[in-house]
Amino acid sequence: MISADCHDYGFYVLHDGFGNAAVQRRRHHAVSVAKERREAMFRTKRLCTEGFSNDMDVHVAINGDMMIEEEPSVLEAQTSSAVEELKLAIASKGIDTVQKKVNALRELRRLLSRSDFPFVEIALKSGAIPLLSQCLSFGSQDEQLLEAAWCLTNIAAGKPEETKSLVPTLPLLIAHLGDKSSLSVGEQCAWALGNVGGESEELRDLLLSQGALIPLARMMLQDKGTTVITASWALSNLIKGPHSEAATELIKIDGVVDAILHHLKKSDVELATEVAWVVVYLSALSDVAIDVLMKTEIVQVLVDRLAASNTLQSLIPLLRSLGNLMAGDAYTTNILLDPSHETTDSIIRSLSKCLKSEHRFLKKEATWVLSNIAAGSVTHKQLICKSEAVSLLLKLLINSPFDIKKEVAYVLGNSCVAPPKEESGGVPSLLLDHLILFVRNGCLSGFIDLLKSSDLEAARLGLHFIEVVLRGMPNGEGQKLVERADGIDAMERFQFHENDELRMMANLLLDNYFGETYGFDDE
Amino acid sequence: MIQILSVVGLTKPIFLHPSLAPLPSSFQIRTHAPSPTSFSLLLIHSLQRFKSIVSFYAVCFNHILLIARHLNPVKTLEMEWNQQTLQFLSQSFLDTLSPHPEPRRRAEKNLSDAADTPNYGLAVLRLVAEPSVDEQIRQCAAVNFKNHLKTRWVPSSANPIPDGEKEQIKTLIVPLMLSATSRIQAQLSEALAVIGNHDFPKLWPALLPELRSSLETAINANDFASLNGILATVNSLFKKFRYQFKSDPILLDLKYCLDNFAAPLLSTVESISGKINEAAGSAATLRQLIEAQRLCFRIFYSLNFLDLPEFFEDTADKWMNEFKNYLTVRYPALEDAGAEGVSLVDELRAAVCENISHYMEKEEELFQKYLKGFVEAVWSLLVIASASPSRERLTVTAIKFLTIVSTSVHHALFAGDEILQQITQSIVIPNVMLRDEDEELFEMNYVEFIRRDMEGSDLDTRRRIACELLKGIAGNYKEKITERVSTQIHNCLALFAENPSANWKYKDCAIYLVVSLATKKAGGASISTDLVDVESFFRSVIVPELQGQDVNAFPMLKAGALKFFTMFRVLIPKAVAMALLGDVVRFLSSDVNVVHSYAASCIEKLLLVKDNNGVQSQARYTSVDINPVLPVLMTNLFGALEKPESEENQYMMRCIMRVLQIADISPEVASPCITGLTTVLNRVCENPKNPVFNHCLFEAVATLVRRACERNPSLVPAFETCLLPSLQMILAKEVTEFFPYAFQLLAQLVDLNRPPVPPHYMQIFDILLTPDLWKKSANVPALVRLLQSFLQQAPNELNREGRLRLVLGIFNKLVSSPSTEEQGFHILNPIIENLGYDVMAEYMNHIWASLFTRLQNNKTARLVRCLIIFMSLFLVKHGIQTLVDSINSVQTNLFHAILGQFWIPTLKTITGHTEVKLSAVASTKLLCESASLLDPAAEELWGKLLDGIVTLLSLPEEERVEDEPEVPDFGEATGGYQATFVRLHNAGKKEEDPLKEIQDPKHFSVALLANLSSQFRGRFPPVITRYLSPANQAALVQLCRYVQVKKGREGYYKLWSGVKWSLGHTDSFEVKSTFW
Repeated sequence: MISADCHDYGFYVLHDGFGNAAVQRRRHHAVSVAKERREAMFRTKRLCTEGFSNDMDVHVAINGDMMIEEEPSVLEAQTSSAVEELKLAIASKGIDTVQKKVNALRELRRLLSRSDFPFVEIALKSGAIPLLSQCLSFGSQDEQLLEAAWCLTNIAAGKPEETKSLVPTLPLLIAHLGDKSSLSVGEQCAWALGNVGGESEELRDLLLSQGALIPLARMMLQDKGTTVITASWALSNLIKGPHSEAATELIKIDGVVDAILHHLKKSDVELATEVAWVVVYLSALSDVAIDVLMKTEIVQVLVDRLAASNTLQSLIPLLRSLGNLMAGDAYTTNILLDPSHETTDSIIRSLSKCLKSEHRFLKKEATWVLSNIAAGSVTHKQLICKSEAVSLLLKLLINSPFDIKKEVAYVLGNSCVAPPKEESGGVPSLLLDHLILFVRNGCLSGFIDLLKSSDLEAARLGLHFIEVVLRGMPNGEGQKLVERADGIDAMERFQFHENDELRMMANLLLDNYFGETYGFDDE
Repeated sequence: MIQILSVVGLTKPIFLHPSLAPLPSSFQIRTHAPSPTSFSLLLIHSLQRFKSIVSFYAVCFNHILLIARHLNPVKTLEMEWNQQTLQFLSQSFLDTLSPHPEPRRRAEKNLSDAADTPNYGLAVLRLVAEPSVDEQIRQCAAVNFKNHLKTRWVPSSANPIPDGEKEQIKTLIVPLMLSATSRIQAQLSEALAVIGNHDFPKLWPALLPELRSSLETAINANDFASLNGILATVNSLFKKFRYQFKSDPILLDLKYCLDNFAAPLLSTVESISGKINEAAGSAATLRQLIEAQRLCFRIFYSLNFLDLPEFFEDTADKWMNEFKNYLTVRYPALEDAGAEGVSLVDELRAAVCENISHYMEKEEELFQKYLKGFVEAVWSLLVIASASPSRERLTVTAIKFLTIVSTSVHHALFAGDEILQQITQSIVIPNVMLRDEDEELFEMNYVEFIRRDMEGSDLDTRRRIACELLKGIAGNYKEKITERVSTQIHNCLALFAENPSANWKYKDCAIYLVVSLATKKAGGASISTDLVDVESFFRSVIVPELQGQDVNAFPMLKAGALKFFTMFRVLIPKAVAMALLGDVVRFLSSDVNVVHSYAASCIEKLLLVKDNNGVQSQARYTSVDINPVLPVLMTNLFGALEKPESEENQYMMRCIMRVLQIADISPEVASPCITGLTTVLNRVCENPKNPVFNHCLFEAVATLVRRACERNPSLVPAFETCLLPSLQMILAKEVTEFFPYAFQLLAQLVDLNRPPVPPHYMQIFDILLTPDLWKKSANVPALVRLLQSFLQQAPNELNREGRLRLVLGIFNKLVSSPSTEEQGFHILNPIIENLGYDVMAEYMNHIWASLFTRLQNNKTARLVRCLIIFMSLFLVKHGIQTLVDSINSVQTNLFHAILGQFWIPTLKTITGHTEVKLSAVASTKLLCESASLLDPAAEELWGKLLDGIVTLLSLPEEERVEDEPEVPDFGEATGGYQATFVRLHNAGKKEEDPLKEIQDPKHFSVALLANLSSQFRGRFPPVITRYLSPANQAALVQLCRYVQVKKGREGYYKLWSGVKWSLGHTDSFEVKSTFW
């Protein structure tokens, strides 16, 4: 009776831990309290220090050089006077008005392009926003529009409240994205909007409600590299949630999917990277988007790209896109990554490459993608276990920081458990070859380390794996292995734990596999 | 005394919790009759100690409330807050503190009745707030208020507090808590947490903003008492983030708390920090501020537990700065003023250590840049703390931090030989060495000492954690550590050899290191170690201690030696152990509680050692080994029970029980043993305190009775003479916690008697039928067990004096609830089996009615299974036609409906050898011998039934049966607080097979089928093809082959005659308890 209980319970939790829950886990938690690390550093907002048209670059270079010598107080005064100049230029009437405006704007933009001094604050205090807004009016010369949008871009790259100050200008910025304006103006406006969208959920919602999504998406259909880069980046800032509506809307826009595939195949790494980020957010947020993307050759394209990429910046969005796409459900993964297909071999090879990388983040993301593959069919698990990834993973389980260990534990755990067969009523069975391979190579102590950690999820993984070892290792070897690895002690820590599931499971395992013969039933 | 409820089968019984050790003190209050003040102080004192035990307050109060029964309840529709209510409540609370039972019971009864009226909670809260009322009364009311909320806040509870009242309470409680005195504040803060557990944050959006603004006010006003109250409340509200799995709902709650409290927390910490600097000289202010800061850091811990929030990542520098500050700064105003001041600051430092440990473990990347600075700070702190007495908590958390570093990717920080040397010498050895507090604990509270020393509840002691650090480092530098520790052990032993009486603690240290660094092995049976050669260490270090002639000298060393023997028992060769057995028995007579307890435990564990000879495992020590020492062993064991504080020593009783299970029990042994055990039993009946001891005691009695009577049935009357008076006393004096045990022992005695059952038992039979007894869920399994015995031994008595009607009434009651349905069948089955149908016939309609009502309204899978087994038993006992007619007399054609809707679909889920056999045989008989099923019109039913039978017979249990959610045990169903049922293994019933004649149900079924198909040639193959799944068609072929192989050896089947039957499965009521 008791042993039957344990059996059932063991099955139950395994099912939960390495089976279905593994599928759920593939998706990041919908609520995120942690910072979006790394990508936040180089993705959220960007300062524009270089213009789009060549003639202006000259000015920038010259002016930039000149500025270095100047004192902060002088710069401060310059900023206020630049705004004043602009005000005067707008008020003036005459033949050279336009040139005056452009000059004033250029001076202001020049100051705002410096990231090391709070010019934005001064410019805002001096009332720059309404002036810039006026300069954006339709019918103005491209140069004026460009400079004004550029100023706004850099104001939007500032602190949250500074970004917010752009709100009155948003309808105009969005309007310039359309056909009526030149591509370079549109591009600069897109940049400004990208900065706004990167700021907060509230501003994203505002942009979406003002119709920024469709014109930005259309810009992605262009052929010009910088335009697509800017538009993609702005779009990724615009759709990044937490709600999924924008992502779903984006994927439904005619031509977007083709454009994504088209650009991803280009040799331009920067371009492909930005587009891949769009795929990251589409796949992270919207099931509809996943459905649509899955009907294309996207995985093949991403995998090819992954094999060809070598830098951290380009690998991250590729890894994440692939991981997210596999997060649909086990079915899509199985269909998509046909184990007999070259793609699947290739992805595992590329992931192994990432596992060997120096970058902790790449290792972690690659392990995460592998854990998603390992949650697939038995053939998928076999592919992983036959690849060089296994030896890398086993090393990582012992030698890497905690968060990577945890991801590795999911891969190894998933690889030992077969998906439930229908007639067995949802009970997953064990893949003994894999289990034995892992255990023989010393992974048990890694899992027991996880069990000793204060992280509950890691502890649960540790317990599940111990259960698998106890149940699965032939000739009752599991008990000896667990005790030799000091597993009994590790489990005993949970005997009075506040978490019900961990406490029950630890106690059940202890009682059933290590319980003292009570001595009554023997006679 | 009341046993603490425990969850059946899943968790360790709570009564094993170490902090419950002083439990008796709160229950002896009545007998000691102290003055009102001391009573209330004692009550509050003991309540404080049990803070951690969730239900304790409820326990205490329920216990008190249970005492009162017969007073006029105050019945009002709603409690209004007026002078009269104030008067009533104040007087009642005052009376609950009375030393006289009469007014106390009346007050308790009044309060418990009043608690059912709406607005009771609100009224009590108002009383708590009433400044004119005596503080002692308000405090009592605050405790009552909190308990009231605990049982009634959740809407699903039996008597939930109305929503309107809840809202009012929520509005009132925060300001009230803040203005209250510290003791009341503590109660209200906990009450608030009770509400928070359920309502916070979604149903109580106003709370956190309110707390936040009060926090601001309190800080600005330098109102540190309120500050601490608020922080304590927030701390308990946020604790839930520490033990729940990450999920979207919990993350949403966390996000809400972060948005509302992360920034204020940082500014609070910074401003407290500033105030601490200002208050450097003022001990009283400093005290409050240090505590406030500690609470802030605990809140930090909760908020950071699940994930690293963005806010904390951005402000990490500030936090780390604060943390490091408290590790490095000293506060002379507090720390030079005494141990209490030191421990206050240490608590804060410990909180810091927990936070940095957490960051080190989970956010190592972020923490990296701070790591070195913290390691140095913790290190210096630790070297000082290790050298000074006490400071346990700080040492433990600080070493934990180093342990985490040692197992992380940064373990190389500890790689240097010099560092390793310092760690072993300056940190590990000083912390493993015995201290005065350890000696004090050894003498003053042996139970707690043993729990820590032997039972692994020492995870948070400095001795143990020091060893954990060694283990952590050994993960990467095993050889270096082994070498150094071996040297240290050697040094310790050398120092001891220089001057054994002065340096005995060094030897203790050596023994402790060997035991603690060993690896635990399966079965809790043994451990192993690489540090020393166990056998030679045993011979040279341990044996000399065990052979020491003075059983009271150097007791801690003796205890250590006995512990070593116990722990390494499997590795000590039998010959060596046998040579020492006499010595260990000798130590049973030591006056030192730990020593005689360890001796008892050593013997008990030795008796459990098993050797595997390649075929099966066998006990290493048998009766032959203990018989020679048996008399002195028993004398010493019972002798130790006379020693002060060991009157209820569970180690002694467990050893007695184990010895009785193994030794040969001659009448010469049995007689003093039963006398001794009965004496102890009579004594504990006065005031049952230690549930483990009591359980072992009853188990020992059951073992003794069983084993002695097996050898010598003539002993039964002697046992009855001894035991029956005690058992009757338990019933007469209503020692309710022993009822389940008493009924099980009685059942055992009834079973041992040959029919007819002696008349004095028949009185008990009548007591057994009192409905009141059956109301307590803990009694039910034991009562059923006893009733089963009576039904088997005296079926004819049943039919007299209307008893059958009463028994069926009990059946009816039990079967009506899912939690007791199985017990109901345990009664019904022996009735149907042991009584003639003529007796039963007139009741059958009622029985079917209650069964089918359940089936219709509230069926459970278990109910259907039990029903199939019952019908199967009915069928094999009284024949198919009787069953069919009986069911059809309830409603026309009902039998086929039941068969189609319940029997066939559920048949494959039957488990248990006897049950499967019975239901398979009955189903096959039905299939082959029932005229109505053989009617071609019933072809579909016939086909499906066969399909079910084939599944049942061909698939192993685990492939047929799906997971079923755990059904709550009946402790929950009846609610409240009661004794639990614990099964006595030795008073258990042997499962009997009602179909002994049929050896193999497969054989029987196939034979019957073969016979049938020869009668109706060609009729069944198409039916089989149509209704059996392809897998089952193949399985059927297999079954036929299987039978052919065995054919010829046996006849088809014999008719069976009246055989005893019981379901015998009471496992689900067993409280699983693994004692060390």
